[in-house]
Amino acid sequence: MRTFLILFLKELRSFFLSPLAWVVMALFTFLNGWLFASMVNAMRLRVSPRSLVFNMFESGWFWMGFFILFPLITMRLFAEERKMGTIEGLLTAPVRTSEVVLAKYLATVIVYVIIVLPVFLFFPLFQVVTGESAAFHSGALWGSALGLLLVGIFNVAIGTLASSLTANQLIAAMLTFVLVMLHYFMGFLHNFGVVPGSNWTDSLTYFSTTEHMQALSEGLIDSRPIFYYLSFSVILLSLTHHVLESRKWRA
Amino acid sequence: MIEVEKLTKRYAGRLAVDAISFEVAKGEIVGFLGPNGAGKSTTLRMLTCFLSASSGTARVAGFDIYDKSIEVRRRVGYMPENVPLYPDMRVSEYLTFRAKLKGIGFRAAKRAVAEAMDVCSLTEVERKMISTLSKGYKQRVGLADALVNKPDLLILDEPTNGLDPNQIRQSRELIRRLGDRHTILISTHILSEVEMTCGRVVIIDRGKIRASDSPQNLIRRLRKPGEVILEMCGDHADARERIEKIEGVEQVTLIHERQDWFTLSISTNPHVDIREDLFELVSERKWKIRELASRAASLEDAFVDLVQHPKEEEKPTAVNGAEDAETEEGENE
Repeated sequence: MRTFLILFLKELRSFFLSPLAWVVMALFTFLNGWLFASMVNAMRLRVSPRSLVFNMFESGWFWMGFFILFPLITMRLFAEERKMGTIEGLLTAPVRTSEVVLAKYLATVIVYVIIVLPVFLFFPLFQVVTGESAAFHSGALWGSALGLLLVGIFNVAIGTLASSLTANQLIAAMLTFVLVMLHYFMGFLHNFGVVPGSNWTDSLTYFSTTEHMQALSEGLIDSRPIFYYLSFSVILLSLTHHVLESRKWRA
Repeated sequence: MIEVEKLTKRYAGRLAVDAISFEVAKGEIVGFLGPNGAGKSTTLRMLTCFLSASSGTARVAGFDIYDKSIEVRRRVGYMPENVPLYPDMRVSEYLTFRAKLKGIGFRAAKRAVAEAMDVCSLTEVERKMISTLSKGYKQRVGLADALVNKPDLLILDEPTNGLDPNQIRQSRELIRRLGDRHTILISTHILSEVEMTCGRVVIIDRGKIRASDSPQNLIRRLRKPGEVILEMCGDHADARERIEKIEGVEQVTLIHERQDWFTLSISTNPHVDIREDLFELVSERKWKIRELASRAASLEDAFVDLVQHPKEEEKPTAVNGAEDAETEEGENE
């Protein structure tokens, strides 16, 4: 636990000491601010049966940012250590590989939360600034927050695994990008001419990124997506652990 | 402190380390020598639990490197080749991180880091970013990292690689001083360094141990003829003829000639010292001489001999006193 904490804090620190985290945070907030403003505008022009929260998180534009965000925050985790050789010092210190994986992973999840947090400030801010009454109920907001947290937990795990596979940060980033994107588009197979209704399209749709967001951003909390995201993250992290351990045998 | 038993590492079918066995006793400073690609780093990486052995095993500080890897790592200070460090950390910050990671408590870490920085003369750069440090300082940060938790054993992989001659001399001093407190296994290809700091040398080539002995014994075991250099003024042909008659002389070659002065290289039977006979000859003939010296074989010669003419490991040969004296004199030159 002590070792985990030391590694975790070091990882978190090095994130915020590099300009990357700040640039990503600023741009992500800017993009989403813009998107939020357009959503508000759109709802002013056209009556929507859904809430502002639902429309925001249902929008494809919102998710585009995620394709870039996850590769950017996860690519350096192990790839950089391998490139620089610092992994040798790290893994010859009296630390367990699992502690290293968990520390790096959880630090990145925290970074993700900090980057996404401003989006949730938009909604109360909007109400304060305009003095309008709520166009959504708080359950929707909390549900969306939970949904985004789960999506983050899952996708950061994808990025962590990708980063452990290579010493090249760009390859790790590309791999994460593709996987995150595939996971998202899995839910839109019917848009690509695949006949809906068949068993495997339905299953793929069930696994996709936004499938569970819809229910959550309406404030409906189901335990199945929680279990789904958490269990898959655990699988991805244990794969990362295996990759790092097996490196000892090949190298 | 280290007991290596038939340790083997195979990379994609190629044997990088081939069933090597050696031991390092507590308090020793052992040099681990070998040409590039001989398997030095691979061996050290297995001993520090960074790589797993394909077969065989080793015990470090009494713990098996496979079963008790954490215990081993707690007791070993390792400085990897090329000293990888986090460039975006300050020196004291990095060392504090490493000290804590190695299990030193928060308060004790501060003291341990101050001490390590003192030993490695890093105090003046403690606030500097590692990325801005020169190679020499980085090397010392790596060394401070290795010894920050006062491990019983230091494993240093080419600690003087890329340093300038002055820095090499300083680090040699440092390593010798550290030898009082730690057992040290040091890999390098700077032979003069090993000759001066290490009590014992393990030579590895193509994954196999070629020799394991003190530098002096390795030099003695060399079946290389002795060589005496004589620089004199006088009749060249006459001198050669007379010198060739001395017992033990095998060959006389002229290696340098300038006006009246010439230099002869006299190769002799390896177990004979002809210098006294030579001196008597010189004084008898009233030759003027400027140099009379015996050139002893160096560790470099022994190394080249072992690596180029590989033979199975031999038992150290018994040595008599006369040879002892010769090598010691040779070293002083």
